[in-house]
Amino acid sequence: MSYTLNIGHFYPELLNLYGDKGNVTALKKRVEWRNMEVNVIEISENDEIDFNSIDIAVIGGGSEKELLTVLKKLQNVSADLKSYVESSGVVLAVCGGFEMLGESLFLNGKKEKGLGVLNMHSEQGSKRFTGNVVAETDFGKIVGFENHSGRTYIENNAPLGTVVCGNGNNGEDKKEGVVYKNLFGTYLHGALLPKNPELADEIILRALKRKYGEDIKLAPLDDSCEERAKQYIVDLCR
Amino acid sequence: MIRFLLAVWACKMLIIAGRMAGKKSSSGPGEIAMKICPDILKILSKKVKKQIIAVCGTNGKTTTNNMICSILEKKGYSVVCNKIGANMLPGTVTAFIEKTGFFGKINADYATLEIDEASARHIFKHLNPDVMLITNLFRDQLDRYGEIEMTAGFLKEALDLTKDTTLIINGDDPVCAAIAKDYGKKVIAFGISENADINLDEAKEGQFCKYCGKPLEYEYYHYSQLGSYKCPGCDFKRPEISVEATGIDISDGLKFTVNKKNRINVAYRGFYNIYNILAALAVSEQINVDLSDINEILSDYKPQIGRMEKFDLGKPVILNLAKNPAGFNQAIFTVLADDKKKDIIVAINDNPGDGKDVSWIWDVDFEKLSDCKVGKIAYLGIRKYDLEVRFKYADINKEGKVYNDLKTAIKEMLQKDGEILYLLVNYTVIFEAQNILKELEKEYRKEG
Repeated sequence: MSYTLNIGHFYPELLNLYGDKGNVTALKKRVEWRNMEVNVIEISENDEIDFNSIDIAVIGGGSEKELLTVLKKLQNVSADLKSYVESSGVVLAVCGGFEMLGESLFLNGKKEKGLGVLNMHSEQGSKRFTGNVVAETDFGKIVGFENHSGRTYIENNAPLGTVVCGNGNNGEDKKEGVVYKNLFGTYLHGALLPKNPELADEIILRALKRKYGEDIKLAPLDDSCEERAKQYIVDLCR
Repeated sequence: MIRFLLAVWACKMLIIAGRMAGKKSSSGPGEIAMKICPDILKILSKKVKKQIIAVCGTNGKTTTNNMICSILEKKGYSVVCNKIGANMLPGTVTAFIEKTGFFGKINADYATLEIDEASARHIFKHLNPDVMLITNLFRDQLDRYGEIEMTAGFLKEALDLTKDTTLIINGDDPVCAAIAKDYGKKVIAFGISENADINLDEAKEGQFCKYCGKPLEYEYYHYSQLGSYKCPGCDFKRPEISVEATGIDISDGLKFTVNKKNRINVAYRGFYNIYNILAALAVSEQINVDLSDINEILSDYKPQIGRMEKFDLGKPVILNLAKNPAGFNQAIFTVLADDKKKDIIVAINDNPGDGKDVSWIWDVDFEKLSDCKVGKIAYLGIRKYDLEVRFKYADINKEGKVYNDLKTAIKEMLQKDGEILYLLVNYTVIFEAQNILKELEKEYRKEG
């Protein structure tokens, strides 16, 4: 049987700050290297979004001005996005894309209504959190770079990980990101997935399982160079 | 007055001591001088006989500033210039004191100062520039500046402090054009007024109208967000260009015509240098410098360290600084425009001068290096493993190798099949790389 995954890359021309494009690159390559088909659907400003044709939705971070444009776009389809998430649709949302999924967030100093996909909200912090982050997750240690002034509180949701080094969601509760069904939210750039191949593979596995209804085994890849790059950040945190 | 002289002396001593120790950094002496006499920059800058030029912008600052300095010096003027790029407040002070005598007399017709975008608003409290140039605004060192809008905000704050300042901008850059529009006073724009057909598939920034949010429409586009644009939703558009290049030919060096009159013909590499030259010309015109012999002046101008700097080690080696996606994509474009078979060393550090975050390497179009004329690739610098991962995912089937030591890497890479070796490195690698290359060049010459 041949497998195909469709990655929806949300607004790449707007959310293009901080190299989050690397997440799409990592997912695409790691699917291809398993001899499976992959299509990247770039969703741009005036495109209709068909959530039925997407297996993995990737929403990156951006400047606040551009995030506001995206937020307004997605507000028109927030019900569709919500039902996609509730039906176990796979999402990776980074930084501003992550904050947007909650009930409210601050953009350009103003409180905005979020997409309401998750029960969480973001406040405006006084200091910008920038620096390397290491977190323990169910998918091993993950590393990345945070760069945000928002403070996100995920209420009763499960975090993606526990912060070992850095600030994470708000610098208070040691939580980094969120996991809800197959939605992964995080503050981490880096880009995140290239240096965290276990997490990348988890996202791919969940997308395959949802689409084909079976547990598919991914052929192992040699991740030694990814591990070396990750180790550098882990060592910085000692 | 005593404090002023003390500050001058202390600073001069430190400059001399620093030189004897072989140091290149020039912000330390200025810092001490400011402590002794906080008004020192106010006093010294008022003594400049003609005009003060401030050069800001993400890429091309050092090159353009030194080009302006070189033009002025060729015309026989005495110029204050922070040549090696110490571009915050203390570095500016040091540059002035270098031209100041022991009795506090300064011999300067002009001052041309490269100024860090975030520092301009501090420096302009001490001196008023007659001309301010903004070369472009790209994403750079995001962990330091946050976002491009923040940098634009810093520059606006700086402009608010100025008096009777002429603003010269890159008109092809909508981010600069918006700053100029808001400035509202005398503005001169330069630009490349034809489609030069260099297509790079890269992350753009700032291509949405700042005033109404609509995506800008481009008639043609050069790289990053630079091109000829207009907003379909409001009246924001590429401003009228008064120093413009046409007839672009980058096949061998750089050739182009300025304002349909002067043909420029120089042996520089890199499309982006057209902008640097246009900027220098726009400034020169504004301050009424005669430019009839501009080709000779430009060909005498020695590019700064690591700006497509050439070495001869039996085969040519080119060292180039690239510190953000726009710079790197331009470097890659220049490398690929070279017909020769080449090997490439890429080195990225994450020291404070570079920015701690290297996420931006995922916005660089390294995939373009799948070109058949590219042979081997070596990864170096503190973040060599990140480069290894980046190239793995670029999936371009080039044999790549991680090296720990730059000198070893250069020596080994010289043995590969390429006819030329390129080094693309970021900021804090550049001095080490230049020292090694100079040393190897000396050894090579000795061996004949």
